[in-house]
Amino acid sequence: MIEMQAVGKVFRTDVVQTHALRNFDLKVAPGEFVAITGHSGSGKTTFLNVAGLLEELDSGRYIFDGQDVSKLTDNQRSRIRNEKIGFIFQGFNLIPDLDIYDNVEAPLHYRAMPAAERKRRILSSLEKVGLSSRMKHIPSQLSGGQQQRAAIARAISGEPRVILADEPTGNLDTMMSNQIMDLLLQINAAGTTILMVTHNPELAQQAHRQVHIVDGRIDQIHHYNPLRPTPAVA
Amino acid sequence: MFMHDLRLALHSLKRNPVLSALMVVAIAAGIAASMISITVYHGRAGHPIWWKADKLYAVALDNRDPDSANAFARFTRHPEYPPLQVTYQDAKALYRSDIPTRSVMMFRANRVIAPERDGEKPFATAARVTTADFFAMFDVPFLYGGGWSRADDEAPAPVIVLSKYANQKLFGGVNSVGRSVTIGDTRFRIVGVIDAWMPQPRFYDLNNNTFDLPENLFLPWGWTEALQLSTAGNSNCVRANAKVGSFKELMTADCVWLQFWAELPSADQRDRYRRFVDNYTTDQKRYGRFPRPLNNRVVDVDEWMKMYDVIGDESRIQVAVAVMFLVVCILNTFGLMLAKFLKAAPISGLRRALGASRMDVVRQHLIEVVIVGLLGGAVGLVLTFMGLRALRALNSRPFPGMDDNPARVAIQQSLTNLDFQMFAIAVALSLLTGILAGLYPAWRIGRLTPSTFLKTQ
Repeated sequence: MIEMQAVGKVFRTDVVQTHALRNFDLKVAPGEFVAITGHSGSGKTTFLNVAGLLEELDSGRYIFDGQDVSKLTDNQRSRIRNEKIGFIFQGFNLIPDLDIYDNVEAPLHYRAMPAAERKRRILSSLEKVGLSSRMKHIPSQLSGGQQQRAAIARAISGEPRVILADEPTGNLDTMMSNQIMDLLLQINAAGTTILMVTHNPELAQQAHRQVHIVDGRIDQIHHYNPLRPTPAVA
Repeated sequence: MFMHDLRLALHSLKRNPVLSALMVVAIAAGIAASMISITVYHGRAGHPIWWKADKLYAVALDNRDPDSANAFARFTRHPEYPPLQVTYQDAKALYRSDIPTRSVMMFRANRVIAPERDGEKPFATAARVTTADFFAMFDVPFLYGGGWSRADDEAPAPVIVLSKYANQKLFGGVNSVGRSVTIGDTRFRIVGVIDAWMPQPRFYDLNNNTFDLPENLFLPWGWTEALQLSTAGNSNCVRANAKVGSFKELMTADCVWLQFWAELPSADQRDRYRRFVDNYTTDQKRYGRFPRPLNNRVVDVDEWMKMYDVIGDESRIQVAVAVMFLVVCILNTFGLMLAKFLKAAPISGLRRALGASRMDVVRQHLIEVVIVGLLGGAVGLVLTFMGLRALRALNSRPFPGMDDNPARVAIQQSLTNLDFQMFAIAVALSLLTGILAGLYPAWRIGRLTPSTFLKTQ
């Protein structure tokens, strides 16, 4: 699903350049749930941004869903993000003025999709995350956990191949975190590949694999959760 | 997609109501200042008889002597122009040509008129002494009756045409054709009453107050000498030591200036007439007149108004200052727009993550920009209406000696009228202002890397 070969990413200012990713090699199989861990500044979020085509890589090669996406145009990258990738953020990142229904609808606007199909997908997504009764609420009227569930509904409404979650439980208490993790595991069980950045070792151990990053390189890979069959991994 | 962008734009505007209101007010102020100036300019630049634009020609002959021409150069922007009127004797000579379909020589005079009705006071008013073709040539509309004939000019016949206002004042507005009025010792029979007619600018005579009403009395040309009427305009002599002891000497000494127009519908007529005018002045050189090289003008109404600079520097400067003010407003709005868009950059970053392309983000912000521009334009139009009303009220204040002709208000209305063309310009200017102020901020926000704001939103 995802294959990075010697990927490098450098951030430059006038006086300093920072190697956020160095010779980064990783393969993620379809349907896999991978936890990404590492200290602050280790390159976790940069990896997620490169994987999600939000950042261009400076060196190496990136194959996404069988397609080399290293040199795509901005429009092509936007289209792949829209059709194949769902994002979940630590801060939920819901549009504050729009109600939950409209927030979930947001990514669907960038596809030539009939209104009836959009509505079907929105209602289905909200049903899956248990927010059908809150669809007319604006984000500030919901709890943190509910907002993150709304963000998950938005991520799955486009029926993506991959969900990239950047510390999705970082702003939530333990109970809420467990609920969100259960939801992600359900989505993964339905076949969606998930890459999740987390600082929480308990959550990381629920993934198929844990990839630990240090200084922009993969330091360790742990294989967990023998109860669930791990898809073929390189 | 458009509706989605529109909703996002409206939400964005509501998110920062104070900032949004400031942008709208800034654009509104610029639009109002510009539109008030442009409307006044437009009113002054209007073509009063556009349907005859290529048919009516004013005549000017350069009979200045070389010395006075040099002296003249110090006081005018266009010393190359000949005097913009012709002298009495030249007008009479030109009038004899049968090349024009119609021709008119005329001047403005002030006369005192005595009403027939008992108890009414005689009053002074402006009169136009003219040849018969005036009414047909300038498409003057008649309420009652009509003009007079060339034979009436020559006789001269004691006939007169009144303005609608004079007829109202003298006869209460009823059909007065066949009745009489007295000017001096002469009784004139009324042959026509002009309907509402108010060419602006008053192109046929731009010498006495460009934006004024036509005269109230119209007298046949022949009364000039019969009543020894003097012009209310220019009576400065061309040459030193001109003999002006008697009325006849004054009229033939190149001292009395008047207006001369010819109706020349075809190119052939125009060519022939220009040759005729040049031949006439060349011939006059034999008598010591027209000492300068040939410099005659036979010009249409547009050119005529340009030569007189009807619009004037004042209007042009007002427009220039207003446009500069609009530019300042655009720069202010630009700054506010940039600040607003950058503040909302995390949402744009999120939309990019969800699949919006750069163009999607730019388009949504441009829709917001257009809404701000249109709102600014709408408020600006209201301010423009108010400003023009204030200007109209200011210019319609009575002054000493002013008559009570209600058409004076109509003149101010015509000069400050926000017609459809001005309305369309206001809308276009609003859009342009919004886009100029918002194009760069929208482009800039579209260029931002989406990941920059996602972690921090």
